[in-house]
Amino acid sequence: MVPRARKPPGLYRLARWFRRLSLVVLIVLILFLASVGYSAVELVKSSPQSGGYSAGFGANDTVAVTGSLSLSNPGFYPVSGFSLNLRIQNASGTLLGNLAEGPETLPAHTTTVFPIALYLPITPNGPAASLLTTDQNLVLGVWGNATFAYLFPVSLHFDENKSWGAPFAEFLVQPGSPTTANGTTTVPVTVSFSNHASFAEVGMLEVVLLSSDGTACGAGGFSLNVLPSGFYYQTQAIDLASGCSLQDGSAEAAYTGSGATIPLPPEALP
Amino acid sequence: MTPPAAPPPDPAPYSIPSLGYRILAGGARLVPLLVGLVGLPVAALTLLQSHGISLPVSIVTVTVAGVAISVLSTVRYIVRPTRAYGPVSVATSGVTLAYVLVLLTQSTYRISVPGSTVSIALGYARLLDLILLVPALALVAGLVTTVEDIVAPRERLPFDYPP
Repeated sequence: MVPRARKPPGLYRLARWFRRLSLVVLIVLILFLASVGYSAVELVKSSPQSGGYSAGFGANDTVAVTGSLSLSNPGFYPVSGFSLNLRIQNASGTLLGNLAEGPETLPAHTTTVFPIALYLPITPNGPAASLLTTDQNLVLGVWGNATFAYLFPVSLHFDENKSWGAPFAEFLVQPGSPTTANGTTTVPVTVSFSNHASFAEVGMLEVVLLSSDGTACGAGGFSLNVLPSGFYYQTQAIDLASGCSLQDGSAEAAYTGSGATIPLPPEALP
Repeated sequence: MTPPAAPPPDPAPYSIPSLGYRILAGGARLVPLLVGLVGLPVAALTLLQSHGISLPVSIVTVTVAGVAISVLSTVRYIVRPTRAYGPVSVATSGVTLAYVLVLLTQSTYRISVPGSTVSIALGYARLLDLILLVPALALVAGLVTTVEDIVAPRERLPFDYPP
């Protein structure tokens, strides 16, 4: 007859059960942490890909920066509640525009593409109006928030300096000496600027000449086809209203092209 | 009529290693414990510090807690055949619990990468909440063993040290 093994007493079994449960929890957590570490490394290695960025004039008096951001999550765990905020400021800290994406969930083993469309309002006297005529350094602030692997909230922030090339850099409206013939006063007006932007300007530039009290003295249209890095210089005769003086006056210009009409900041006449 | 023969006395139902052996084996266990709880974390923290990255927890805290837990764990191993095993188990789990709670109060790690504008904040409070389960369960086990040793001294020895 084989003797039966003695059964451990109840308290002993209870203590052993708690010890084993503690060990099981520890092992599960270690395995979980190891897989989270692996997934995090894979996520960091597949760094975000940004592509196809382009700038141009958008509708409603805006400069539009569009593109896409592609995020891969090759790990075992989802990235949930992913949200992205972008903010563009000029060098003096004035907010020019912002963008918010998400919150989205990036499932495991997937790649998610976020379309980026940032519109900077360039209304006359608005904070971003100087983008049209002044090259400048912009500060791009990026904030990202997400929860990785269910347990780890992560937030990221960085600032990046971007140089902006103005599409109408050094914009100048220069009237020449007026001449009068047959009772009509005409003034040669020279418009010049450099296109420092990354896009071409094809369309018309309407220029209105104003007297010192804001009365419109004359207007003319300039045809544009200026490639990136191109220089524009054109002189055109504009008829002035009778008795209207350009002394201490100003010029207002508006560019029409690509389906948008963009007013430029007023220019004092020399 | 011959009376039935008395049953032979039970052989020793357990076999406890000598104190010298337990001290030696406990000392051998202490080495990997110190490496895991002190050496590796301190090395990682020192590496971060050498790159100018702020630390999520001080090196002193990690060293003190790691040494305390390792030593208590070793003592627990040595005194396992005695009635001190339960209380030392409770003390070990209590210190571990306190250590995790200290970490929990600093459970958002903010990193500023030197030489850049990048700053990262990582939260791990929920993970520490789960890790708290480990010493909490071990603490309950220690309490039960303490009660068992009071109610029925040496009852567990045949199962802890089978022949």
